[in-house]
This record gives sequence, C-alpha cells and structure tokens, in this order.
Amino acid sequence: MNALHRRTFLKQAGLSAASLPFITGLPSLGLAAPARPRQRLVFMFSPNGTIPAAFWPDETGTDFQLKEIMTPLAAFKDRMLVLNGVNNKVKGDGDSHMRGMSCLLTGIELFPGNIMGGGGQPAGWASGISIDQEIKNHLQKSDDTRTRFGSLEFGVGVTDRADPWTRMSYAGANKPIAPISDPYQMYEKLYGQMKDKENLQSVLDTVKGDLQKVGKLISAADRRLLEEHQALVRQMEQEIVNAKQQKLRAAPPTLGEGVADQNDNLPRLSRMQIDLLVNSFVNDMARVATLQFTKSVGGARMNWLDIKEGHHTLSHDDREEAVAAKLVKINKWFAGELAYLVQKLSTTPEPGGEGMMLDNTLIVWTNELGRGSSHTLNNIPFLLIGGAPGFTMGRSLQLDQVAHNRLHLALAHSMGYRLETFGKAALCDGGPLKLTA
Amino acid sequence: MHRMSFHRNLVALAGLLLTGLWLAPPASAATFSLFSRKPDGPAIYKQQCVKCHGPAGQGVKGKYNDPLVGDWSVEKLTRYIAKTMPEDKPGSCTGPKADAVARYIHDTFYSREARARAQTARVELVRLTNRQHLLSVADLFRATGEEPKVTAGKGLQAAGYKSARGTRREDRALDRTDRKIEFDFGTDRPQWAGEGTNGFALHWSGSVIADETGEHEFVVKAANGIRLWVNDDDKPLIDGSVSSAKGIEHRAGIRLIGGRAYPIRLEFFKAARDKIANVALLWQPPHGALQVIPARNLAPERAATTFILTTPFPADDSSVGYERGVSVSKEWDEAVTHAAIEVATHAAKNLDRLTRGKASDSDRATKVEAFCAEFVTRAFRRPLTDEQKNLFVTLPLRSAAKLEDGVKRVVLLTLKSPRFLYLGLEGAGAQPDDFTVAERLSFGLWDSLPDTALTKAAAEGKLRTREQVAEQARRMLADARTRGKMQYFLHRWLQMNHIEDLTKDPSVFPGFTPEIIADLRTSLNLFLDDVVWTESSDYRRLVLEDDFFVNGRLAKFYGVNTDATEDFVRVQLDPKQRSGVITHPYLLAAFSYNKSSSPIHRGVFLTRNIVGRALRPPPMAIAFKDGDFKPGMSMREKITELTRPQACQSCHSVINPLGFSLENFDAVGRFRDQDGNRRINAAADYTTDDGGIVRLKGARDVAEFAVKSEHAHQAFIEQLFSQVVKQPMLAYGPDVLNQLRLSFVESGYNIQKLLVDIATVSALQETGKPASTSK
Repeated sequence: MNALHRRTFLKQAGLSAASLPFITGLPSLGLAAPARPRQRLVFMFSPNGTIPAAFWPDETGTDFQLKEIMTPLAAFKDRMLVLNGVNNKVKGDGDSHMRGMSCLLTGIELFPGNIMGGGGQPAGWASGISIDQEIKNHLQKSDDTRTRFGSLEFGVGVTDRADPWTRMSYAGANKPIAPISDPYQMYEKLYGQMKDKENLQSVLDTVKGDLQKVGKLISAADRRLLEEHQALVRQMEQEIVNAKQQKLRAAPPTLGEGVADQNDNLPRLSRMQIDLLVNSFVNDMARVATLQFTKSVGGARMNWLDIKEGHHTLSHDDREEAVAAKLVKINKWFAGELAYLVQKLSTTPEPGGEGMMLDNTLIVWTNELGRGSSHTLNNIPFLLIGGAPGFTMGRSLQLDQVAHNRLHLALAHSMGYRLETFGKAALCDGGPLKLTA
Repeated sequence: MHRMSFHRNLVALAGLLLTGLWLAPPASAATFSLFSRKPDGPAIYKQQCVKCHGPAGQGVKGKYNDPLVGDWSVEKLTRYIAKTMPEDKPGSCTGPKADAVARYIHDTFYSREARARAQTARVELVRLTNRQHLLSVADLFRATGEEPKVTAGKGLQAAGYKSARGTRREDRALDRTDRKIEFDFGTDRPQWAGEGTNGFALHWSGSVIADETGEHEFVVKAANGIRLWVNDDDKPLIDGSVSSAKGIEHRAGIRLIGGRAYPIRLEFFKAARDKIANVALLWQPPHGALQVIPARNLAPERAATTFILTTPFPADDSSVGYERGVSVSKEWDEAVTHAAIEVATHAAKNLDRLTRGKASDSDRATKVEAFCAEFVTRAFRRPLTDEQKNLFVTLPLRSAAKLEDGVKRVVLLTLKSPRFLYLGLEGAGAQPDDFTVAERLSFGLWDSLPDTALTKAAAEGKLRTREQVAEQARRMLADARTRGKMQYFLHRWLQMNHIEDLTKDPSVFPGFTPEIIADLRTSLNLFLDDVVWTESSDYRRLVLEDDFFVNGRLAKFYGVNTDATEDFVRVQLDPKQRSGVITHPYLLAAFSYNKSSSPIHRGVFLTRNIVGRALRPPPMAIAFKDGDFKPGMSMREKITELTRPQACQSCHSVINPLGFSLENFDAVGRFRDQDGNRRINAAADYTTDDGGIVRLKGARDVAEFAVKSEHAHQAFIEQLFSQVVKQPMLAYGPDVLNQLRLSFVESGYNIQKLLVDIATVSALQETGKPASTSK
C-alpha cells in the first residue's frame, strides 16, 4: 500500500497516526455473537462458457435431475438454485470475452480503449464499479457489518496480465482490482501480522536488556527518558501476550510449501485458496469474496484430467462430440472445486451463531459466456448454492431472458442493501429478480 | 565582570536579610550602602515588584503570569519603569531608583546573559526526530558506491519506437531529450515513426527531483497505454496499459524526501487501432499546484532508488522553536515498531538484491550474515564489538527457522534498539570519541547517518582536531543532504513550513490562483538556494537583494517585464521597492489577511525573525475585525487605533513600525501607492532595544537596519544553531554565540561557513558535565 492510499485509508477508517491499528491488536479477534446473522456472498468464476446439454436440467421447479457437469454437487441439490435464461445484455465496445468478463459483475459498458479482441471495437476497462465491491462498500459503512478487509479477491491461475479479459472486480470506472493468485501472498495478507508479531516478540527481551545496558552509559538526568522507553517496551510485550491469549476462532490453515503458481499446480492452488477463503470467513475478515479460476479465454491445460489441449481452444469446437466430452470433464472439475467449497461451508458451524456457515453464505458460480463456440452472452450458466434471504433454494428456474443486472440487484437485497439500479440503469427494468418461491 | 560580582554580593546580602538573620555586614559593604546613598535595586524590587513578578522575575499567577525576560537595554527598561511602574502607582519609582531596580532586574534574570548564567543548560540525551528517523532509514539502504551524477533542468531521455511494442532494437527510431512530457499527436503519426500503420511507442527515463519532502501525486493523462515507475525499478506506480479512448487521468501518490533525485520511467504506446495519441506527465508536489512536471525537476540520468518509510509518526516536540526528540510516548514507540516491521519486510523481500546473491547460492547464509552485520553497524554508527555482533546478528539469525525471518528479526531488533534510536549514547564523555564526532557531524548537517567517508575518517582517528572536523564538514556541504537540511532551516526561519493555504478573496484579487501561489513558493526557494549556494553565501543578500525569480505566469501577474515562459528566470526589481525575502510576495501574502495586508503579522515576523527581537505573547487576544472600523480608514490607521492601549504598546511600539514599513504591498505582495483611496505612508519611528529611535521609510530601511544589527545576526545564528544541533545553545557555553558571531562577521556573513562553524563547534563539544561549569 503506498503512502497516499494508506493515508486515505486511515482517514476513511477515522484513524490517525495516534490510533494506528497496532500489531498487538490485529487481526481483529474475539468474535461476539452478531446482532443479525452474518450474510456472505461469493462469486466463483470459470471461463469459456459451458456445455448447455450437460449443464442445464431438463426440468424446472423443485423436481429436477442434475446433468453430468453438476453431478459433483449432487449432495447439495436442495441447496441450489439453477438460473437459466439470465443474459448479459451489455453492448458496446469489446469482444464477447471482454464484455463477458468485465461487464459480468459491473453490468455496464466498457470504455473505448486500446485492447483489440477477436471482434467488435477495441475497448478499455469497465466504466463502473462491480456488484461485489458495491456491496462491500455498503457493508463497510456500518459498524455491525464492517470487517477487516470487507472483501477478498482470490484467483487460481489468473495470468499476470492486467486487461479487460483478466479482471471482473472493479472499485470504480477504470479501477480494476487484481485478484491474488498466489496463496502465499494471500496468507501474508491475512495472517502476515501474526508472523510479524512472533518475530517482534522474539526480539523484545534483547531490546529490554539493551536499554538496561545503555542506561549505565549515561547520566542520571538522562536516564529518565530511557526508563520511560523501557516501560513502553514492557507494555508492548504484555500487550502481545494478552493478544495471543485471544485465540483466533480458526487457526490459519497450514499451506503446503513451495507450490509454484503454474498450470499443473492448479488443483493444489485451488484447494489452498478455498481453504484460505473459508478460514477468512470463519475469522470474519470479509463478508464478500470472489474466486476467479484463470480468466476469460482461460487456456488451462488440465493434464490432471488427461486433457492435453488448452481450455479455450477446445471451447471453440464444442459441437464436436469428442471435444464436448473433454469440456464436460473440464467443467465438471470446476463443479468439483465448488463442491469442495460448499462441503467445507456446510460442515463448519456458523461462528457465534446457529447452523452451518453455508446457511448464511450464497455462492454464485458464473461464467463470461453462455457457450464457447457461439460466444453468446445469453443463458450464462448461473448456479447459486447456499442460503440467503429472498432466495428459495432447491429449484431449477427457466427465466425469460432477463438482464443479469436484475440478479445483481437481488443479490444486493439479500445482503441487506436495497439498491434500486445497478450498472446500466436501463437494464434494471423490473427491479430485482424475484427468487422467492 | 565587575558589575556581576557586585550584584552577587547584593543578592547575597538580600538573601541574608530575607532569612531574618542579622550579622554585622563587612565594613566595606556597610560603608557602601550607608554613605553612597545610592538606591538599593534589590530592596526596591522586593518592595515594589515581587508581588507581581515573583522573587526571581518568574511571574506570579493571576498577577503577571509571564517571566520577566527580554532584550531591552538597561536604559530602555529604566525609562519604561519610570513611566509605568509599579502598575498601581506609576511615577513613584523614577530617576536613580528606577535606574537601580532596572539594572538589578536586567543583570539578575532579565537579559540573555543573565539567563545564560542562571541556567544549567546541558546537552540532553535525545532520540532521533521524525525527520532524522526517516532520513536515517533511507540511508541505511543507500548504496555505498558513488552516487550517479544527476543534472536537473534537462528533462528526460526519450526513446521512440516505430511499433507499439517498443522493445525491438530495429524499431528504435528516435533518441533525444524532452524537457517535459506533454504531447498531443492528434490523429497524426510523428515524422520519426515513419510511414505505416503499426502504432508507435515512446519511452522516457531519467530522474525526477523532489523540491520538498512529502506526498507527491503523479498524474499521467493519456488516450493510450502507459506505465509509470517512480523510485521503484520493478513495480509500476501506475499501470495504465489498458487505455480509454476518451483519455484516462491516472493518479498515484508517493512520498518523496525533498532535495533528492529518484529514478523515473514512463512508457507510452499507441496501438495501431488507437484513433488518437496524446500523453502528459504531471504532478502535484507538496505545497504545489497540479502541473506538467517542469524541466528543472527532471534529469536524463537515472538516480538510484531510495527506501522511504510510509509509517506515520506522531509530531515531534517543537515547543522551544525547533523539533527535538526529548520525549517518548506509546504512539511513538508503536510508530517505531511499525516502521521497523515495514523495513524488515522490505529487507526480507529484497534480500537477493541487497546481498547481491540468490536463494540457490551455496554461500547464501554467509552473504546474509555479512549483510546483516553491515546493516547493524551502519544503523549504530560505530563498529560492533564481538558481543554485540553475536547479540544483534548471529543470535536472531539463528533463532528463526527461515532465513528471511531471521533477517526480519535482525532488522526489528536493530531499529528498536536505543543504539539506533538515540543520539550520543556512547562515547559522549568529556572528550567525545571519534564515532560520536562523526555522528554529530552527520546528524547536524544531514539529519542522517554518517556516510562511508565520514565513518572511515572516524575509524582512522582523523576527527580529532578542529581543522580535521571542519574539513569533513566542508566536504559534506557539497552533498544534496546538506542542501536538504539548509532548506529545512530556511523554511523554518521564514515560517514557510506552516504555510498551507494562501488563497485570497477572488473578488479582491482575481488571478491569484493556486498555480501563482505554487510558483511563488518555487520563486522563493530558487532565491534562497541562489543566495546560500553561491560562493559568497552572504546572509545580507537574503534581505537586501533585489533579485526576483519569475516565470511567465508570475511575470504577468506582478507586471514584471520579461520574456520568461515556463522556466524561471532572474529579474532585477526596483531596489527602491523590493528588498530580499522581506518583500517576497510569497511571504507578504502569507502574512496578510484574506482581503487586506496585515501589518501586525508582518511586523511580528520582521520583529522576531528578521531584526531578532524577543516578543512576549500578547496580554489579551484581540481579533482584527475590519467591520469594526469606520469605512475609508487606511489599514495603518486601523492598526494604530487597535493597539493604542498601554498594555499593547510595550510590544506594538516595536511591531507596528516594522509592519507599517511594508504597507506598500497589498495582500498578494504587489507594490501599491494607495490603500483604498488613501495614499500609503510607510514611514514610521522604530524603537530600538536601547530605546533609540530609528526612522524607517520602507522595506529597504528595515533590511539595512537588520544587516547592521547585532541582535539580528544573533537571532539568525541562534536559529540556525538550534535547527542544526537540536540542543539548547546555552549548553555549549555562554561564549559560543559571540564567537560564532565574530567569525560570521569576519567571513563577510558567509552562511555556508557559519554552518561549518556550528557543525564543528557542536561536534567537538565536551558534554560529560554540564556546560555551565566548564570554562
């Protein structure tokens, strides 16, 4: 964080140098039971469209059969809401992948720019904030929903390149947010201060001894200053001890060492990130998260599934049977990662509350395209799992080609934020989708 | 000397009387007091003054709160007492009685000399000030080798490429220097890029030089892709690779230390499909306005990066007029700890670069240990004993499982150690040791750690004689850090560090824009640099010079005839009107109200900072309200009216004439003959410290008076001394001021030489015992 941003942050948080959140006080612990149940929202992204025939259930309503891609989620069928017929209707500059990605959570056009894609006009960044950030800003405004980070942006194998294909979260127009793809970096962000604290604690004894020693070098008149200083060091030592007694609700996960950010490590990286995500939720560091697998046009080579071609290349030929089979396997793998996340949340008790964390967490699995070969932005595979006010789960719905902006409105409402419009206002006609049975 | 012992006897006598003991006085004293019939000063004081002023002039709560100290001569004091004292019965203590009590007051506690005798000022143990901490941490990571020479004023090195990629050698089509980055190519292709539809790129690199310490906001406006690096070779400050056809204004802030150069690199690329192309590199420096970075802040050579802490610190104590580290607090300790963590993280992240090695090196542990030992030695400003090396390097390195954590522990321990945080902990005995002398020199001149050459001189025992120390000080003058320190002093002397907002009422002063205000500060900085850093370095020029630095914008606003454009040029103003810093519009505007001049603010500034007189705080707070006066009165008449009460006059008889002498300048510092429809009268009678009257007809008379006034010289020297040394001057002996002044006068008022003198005297001071007992 550079100085200016830190200053702005401190100002916004109402903190001055004098009340800088001190090392001994962080990460914020001691979770009392909240007045209202905590409500959480996760957007999980996987790229290149789906295979409609292997994804969408044939039936609507509560009685529906899961297709092949969704089979890893069978145990959670009664917790899911399948939304067929939701379209990304944002037009304008940029190719379908670009708009599919950068308008997915923003619901508003891209600026014209210098990035030329596979069609359409060259484009730049999105011209507005994304829904995850909009909701996060809302939650951070009041005391009972504010958390240390507000939101966390996880990536798995996102290439180290900043363009409209790689970014879906935006802090505002022209302000893309880079997801953190390196779990070690995320760990540092979440728990780095604990390590700092440990290092600090290890040196304080020597500092005290040293102060004692140099005190002998100086006159009695000057010693007063050093004595005051010594008292401060003792105080800090005590505060660290006290802080340590405040246990984290969940200890940080143990990450395997040296897992490099490479294609073949994606399965391991994915689990590490999901572990960190759930852990950060248990410790209430954020209420909103994004989990982005690769990027739009993502070309992961899933050697672990015995698939040698890149994901994106395959997606162009999804009408060939053999290719489609591979794409089903790929998408089923993503569903499996989602199942891992859902499983964890469904078995972790709600901290300081009742039930399991999944009851108060809504996960939205989404994609930049409806299907790879046509590059359509219609019928984007939206699968919701978990629980949120206003969402009746355990259903498969066929909607009438509605704009995805309206889904965003519904999500905001479920988080207690009564947004009237979001993104492009004209696409919000009809208001939030009604997803109560 | 004679008089002093005489008074000591009297004080002793008074003491005896007070305690009620009666002893036969020595014959001589008895004779003296009985037969000379001379009035007894101490007795009169005790009888008539003590109840309000206290037995030692320290003041009495509820009567007269303030200590009785000042700079009036005995004569002036006598006249004042005769006229006004005691308060309940003025006129009852006159003639020889007034003279005797004035003399007693003056010589016992009132005058500077008396205070010097009475005080047991000593060189105190101090911690680093915030500025010293910031600069020391920066210098901890400074490369030991030669600094790249950076020539500000030329602009940046530019390389043009015939394709947007801009990396291939064969595409390189342009090498030149650009004085500023502000280009609008429209829909055209620059000629050097040749024919084609490929797009093109421009890369600029070099250094950016910060004038002042603080937040600098960099702004790149472009319709195309850009990336900007500032003081970081790896991570861009702004990544604007994705452009917007409407143009994006990219902004990012970074803290920079004034007076230093930082590497900067801007890459600009126009893709083939971008319809238009334009780019501009701007900044908003501290106290500045948003502007295209001017050539004088750019250089084509690349400086090395500087590590700059971002941890905020609570403000230092500056209650005695200069920042000093005399207290510690929880907030400070926490800031120190945060800063230590910030530095530790930086060191661990950049370990390969810092140790010139890589993770796979077989001798990595050895390299890291050597780096740590060097780091601790630099931070502590003296070689480590074996025991210290074990404690601060070996043990913490071994205590952690991971090498990076070990390094973090070394850094944390070092930066939290009193050996880093305090000045003069070791080796400050009767005879300061070599490393203490080096430390005092570098903190005096740079507010930072000794450099390699200075440490070497200390290790070789070459800082023993006055000449050796002065020699080092003279070498250090050439370093940019000395310029930074000098600017730090000048800004405090002229109170420029307190100036935040000079905006005036736009209906009265249209066109006095933030840009003009920023230009004025630059103009004043250029003037100060010009005077101090030329060979003569003549203090008198600061107040007498009629030079003025202007750019086109300032010239237009102030009606100066010159063909200056964006660059600043030196012009000569009418010496009858202008006189050095006294009439610089930046200060004139600073010491003015929103709509009008303020003779009181200007007068107080001149009294304290230019002619060097002491002023007490005003006995009552009276706000100037323009509406209270009859319309049509001149400002001078209003102030005269406002300060008429006797209680005001003891100070305002000094303040007002000085303030009135600048009435020829309006609230934005433009020369004027009229105040409303009244003709300006800038002439006034100024009462000197010995009660004499001097007729001042305008700014130049004030300047002429100041450069000849001992008080003014002393005040300047004392200010410089305390900003440099950050210890009470009296702790260095009662004579040091006079010695410095004599040498200052002899050198033709050379400021650089005075700085060397101050650094040398303070570096060699014996501090083992209180200075008052030394010779």
